[in-house]
Amino acid sequence: MDPKTLRFTGEHEWIEAGKTGAKVGLSDYAQEELSDIVYVEFPPIGKKVAKGETLVILESVKATSEVYAPVNGEVTNVNNDLEQNPQKINDDPYGEGWLVEMEISDPAQLSELMDDHAYQDYLKQEELN
Amino acid sequence: MRYIPNTEEQKKEMLKEIGVSSFEDLIQCIPSQLRLNRKLHLPEPLAENELKEMIYRIAGENMDFSLSKALVGAGAYQHHVPEAEKALLQREEFYTAYTPYQPELSQGTLQSMFELQTYLARLTKMDVVIPSMYDGASATGEAALMSLRLTHRNKIMISSSLHPHYRDTVRTYTAPHETEILDLPHDNGLVDLHKLKAAIDEEVAAVIVQNPNFFGGIEKVADISELVHSAGALLIHVIAESMSLGVLQAPGELGADIVPGEAQSLGLDLNFGGPYNGYLAARKQLLRQLPGRIAGETVDKEGQRVFVMTLRTREQDIRREKATSNICTNHGLNIVASNIYLSLLGTEGFHKVSLLNTKAAHYLENLLIQSGNFETVFQYPFYNEFLLRSKMNISDVKEMLIENGFIPPLEISRFYRDKIYENVLLFAVTEIFSREDLDKIADLLSVGC
Amino acid sequence: MKLIFEKSVKGRDGYSLPADLFEDVSIADCIPDYALGAKKTLSEVSEVDVVRHFTKLSKLNYGIDDGLYPLGSCTMKYNPKINEKLSVLDNFVNAHPFSPEDTVQGCLKIMYELDKLLCEITGMDRYSLVPAAGAHGELAGVFIIRKYFTDRGEGRHKMLVPDSAHGTNPASCAMAGFKSVELKSNEKGTVNKEELKRLMDEDTAGLMLTNPNTVGLFDDEIQAIEQIVHQKGGLLYYDGANLNASFGILRPGDTGFDITHINLHKTFSTPHGGGGPGAGPVGVKKFLASYLPSPLVTFDGKKYRLTGDGEKNIGRLRAFWCNFPVMLKAYAWILSLGEKGLRNVSETSIINANYVFAKLKNYYRPAYDRFCAHECVITARDYKQYGIKTLDVAKRLMDYGFYPPTIYFPHFKPHAKETMMIEPCESESKETIDQFITAMIKISHEAKTNPELLKNAPHKTPIRRTDEVLAARRPVLHYDDELKLK
Repeated sequence: MDPKTLRFTGEHEWIEAGKTGAKVGLSDYAQEELSDIVYVEFPPIGKKVAKGETLVILESVKATSEVYAPVNGEVTNVNNDLEQNPQKINDDPYGEGWLVEMEISDPAQLSELMDDHAYQDYLKQEELN
Repeated sequence: MRYIPNTEEQKKEMLKEIGVSSFEDLIQCIPSQLRLNRKLHLPEPLAENELKEMIYRIAGENMDFSLSKALVGAGAYQHHVPEAEKALLQREEFYTAYTPYQPELSQGTLQSMFELQTYLARLTKMDVVIPSMYDGASATGEAALMSLRLTHRNKIMISSSLHPHYRDTVRTYTAPHETEILDLPHDNGLVDLHKLKAAIDEEVAAVIVQNPNFFGGIEKVADISELVHSAGALLIHVIAESMSLGVLQAPGELGADIVPGEAQSLGLDLNFGGPYNGYLAARKQLLRQLPGRIAGETVDKEGQRVFVMTLRTREQDIRREKATSNICTNHGLNIVASNIYLSLLGTEGFHKVSLLNTKAAHYLENLLIQSGNFETVFQYPFYNEFLLRSKMNISDVKEMLIENGFIPPLEISRFYRDKIYENVLLFAVTEIFSREDLDKIADLLSVGC
Repeated sequence: MKLIFEKSVKGRDGYSLPADLFEDVSIADCIPDYALGAKKTLSEVSEVDVVRHFTKLSKLNYGIDDGLYPLGSCTMKYNPKINEKLSVLDNFVNAHPFSPEDTVQGCLKIMYELDKLLCEITGMDRYSLVPAAGAHGELAGVFIIRKYFTDRGEGRHKMLVPDSAHGTNPASCAMAGFKSVELKSNEKGTVNKEELKRLMDEDTAGLMLTNPNTVGLFDDEIQAIEQIVHQKGGLLYYDGANLNASFGILRPGDTGFDITHINLHKTFSTPHGGGGPGAGPVGVKKFLASYLPSPLVTFDGKKYRLTGDGEKNIGRLRAFWCNFPVMLKAYAWILSLGEKGLRNVSETSIINANYVFAKLKNYYRPAYDRFCAHECVITARDYKQYGIKTLDVAKRLMDYGFYPPTIYFPHFKPHAKETMMIEPCESESKETIDQFITAMIKISHEAKTNPELLKNAPHKTPIRRTDEVLAARRPVLHYDDELKLK
């Protein structure tokens, strides 16, 4: 997946919105910050989430990180492969390391998110702080 | 002061290097109205010899316990602690070290955790073991909280034959969550299976039973387990006397889900109630809900097998309010103690000492009943503790035993108010009692009344 | 190194059994069939094997007797030998917790006297010695707060915790059923008063504070903070983690705190034991005394007694009374130092920390450039350009023979704000501290000239850097797990 086609949140989630649903994952910057991910805790399929609510919990050796829902919606699928191979989030955050699929209930929220260009600027700002 | 190396001269020199003229300059940020502005009222400092003399004198205000033997257990058991263990525990590398956060300088502590985890897994036949909690009671409190998180239910059923202090501790730990505590009565000293069946429902998160129980009785754990699981609840199997594991079936073989235990019997002295050491064992599916530190195996840069603290994201320093508990410092040195103890006793020794406990206890019970001064309270099988109703005056019994260097058994009317518990004593007998001791006790307690 | 199980030889034993094993009593008459288990396999080694094994294991550890242990907020100080000796007297070691009160007057006396001493030192009115560790004391403290408000018919739901607080604070709040609300620090690193005013409302039970705080700074506005909290009916909780800087200077009880716990294994010199046992007595002001966990020790002029099963108290937190040997060691330490000695502890520890700070701040950028209390906080931020993390500096220190300082990262900004918290304590001499400073400066040069040396450090320790990712992804939690893998 090309990051240029994705939308990002300030909490470093990415979302790729298709016609039927959306895929959500963690940005390359965030996986690097978290370092090696060792455990993933998924929400139950069918769970309704509001923007900003905890969607997935990721654990590295010395930190846990919550992945928040970038938009309102319902969880339709999770990447079960990660339970055995959590390192895929580190190796391929925009590809095999995707986290959940969800159905978006309020597509208008997508426009509140950053595109890749804005996100890169945002990261530069973060680094300076 | 002998514990503070820097001289006044050196302190001045350092202040100069810091760039201030006095200590006062360093604490100027503390407003004077907040200061103590007087000297602490403390006794004049004692020289080492004065301190030693004073503490020896205070120790002398206790009974002379140098050769005493405790006929009381009730959660704390006097077993023999080998001198080799005591000597090894005096090694500063064990007792002056910090929590093993830096594995490169802490393999002694970490490997010891891993070894005790192995011993306890083998004794309990459970998949995973947290090797140190504060004690058995607080481990039981944590087990209760675990069961609430795991089942999303909010009732806990507690056997009336669970140690009363453990029951209180569970109440304290669960009180903020407004958990409903249900009392599970006993019948003749063992969990009443009919009442369990009638009372358990699908709102009960866990049933807590102790085996051997507070009265010393050996519970029918497999039957309890079946009833508990049929309601979808968890079985929390408490062990207060871990020596019993040398003879009894392991909780893992009987269907326990969570096993909070007290390791005091595994090489820890009585010490007036602590520090002891709790452990918390569980089925592997519950691993991520376990509180407390655990060691795991891995490799270092050169590929050699080494140990680290692992699965740390359950803990408070990482998870904060979402941690499985707030526990951090536990009773780690006692991990080393129990590890040494179990290594010394070994497969045969532990089994034989455990057998000896139960045989010696039965021997004394039999003698006391024969004396005619005592009668049984419950018809139940027991391990190394048993209840007897005394026909003698209890204070006479206590006095006679103390005079002869025996710490007397516990009067259980302290905890159980019903009439049947009047004049009832809870005896404990361990391997430290010889046949001569037990004969003597029986003699002392067979005087006419 | 081999595990004890790998040294096992069938038929060996390390324990002597008495001759009389009561063979005349039949096991079948004692234990019913339904309960009798198979013999459990442990290990088979001799006493000599055991002594060698554990001696070897001990040599893989680093203790305070080996050298400097500058762990910030952990207060690793020297553990006096006399106190160890006094704590293993037979009359203490063999005292059963249910031994009649007349037979344990010596133990009870020490507990009673220690309560009094702790009250004088901290300005509180009563201590319970029950809690087994700092976090256990903290748990007692928040349980007291909860019960206090419940009894008053006020169901307060929130507790304020500074963002710089130790993780136990929010974790304890959660265990007591409070929602912990994070209070952001100001640019000075202390409590942001405006933010406190905004958050402190009538649904908030109080504020948990450490003073000096987790980044080693005295909060000079404690009076104003106290007023804000108390005006809204809240309680002020003192986390005693950093009490070492306060002896004879200021007392939490005089500065408005209602509840405190202290760590005897930090401030009062009792050993850490590789992770405990310590002790975390919890102290309160008079109006909360009836809430203390049971039991307490009372004295009627003749006899000491265990009491405290009052109606209000929060109940029991453990099976028995306290970690008695820890109490004894703390008691002995206080009596050895007296008033002057305690004051000297705080003075020296503050001077030592500021000395380290003054000498290192040109090499490691300070987190806050002002005088510190008992610990200083510096960063390795300037070496990031060489690919160096704070952890690398810490690991390299081991090669110079020192235990590394605490690596602390505020949970809200893990990597950006990684710091080293250095607490040298009063028991380190200027010479030792100078050696440490020299090592730190050398490392700062190495970071620029030979960063690989740091990234691969340590080189001289018994083992090298460990693969913690492997340990977490594939948990092997006892030897039988390892055997299964093979």
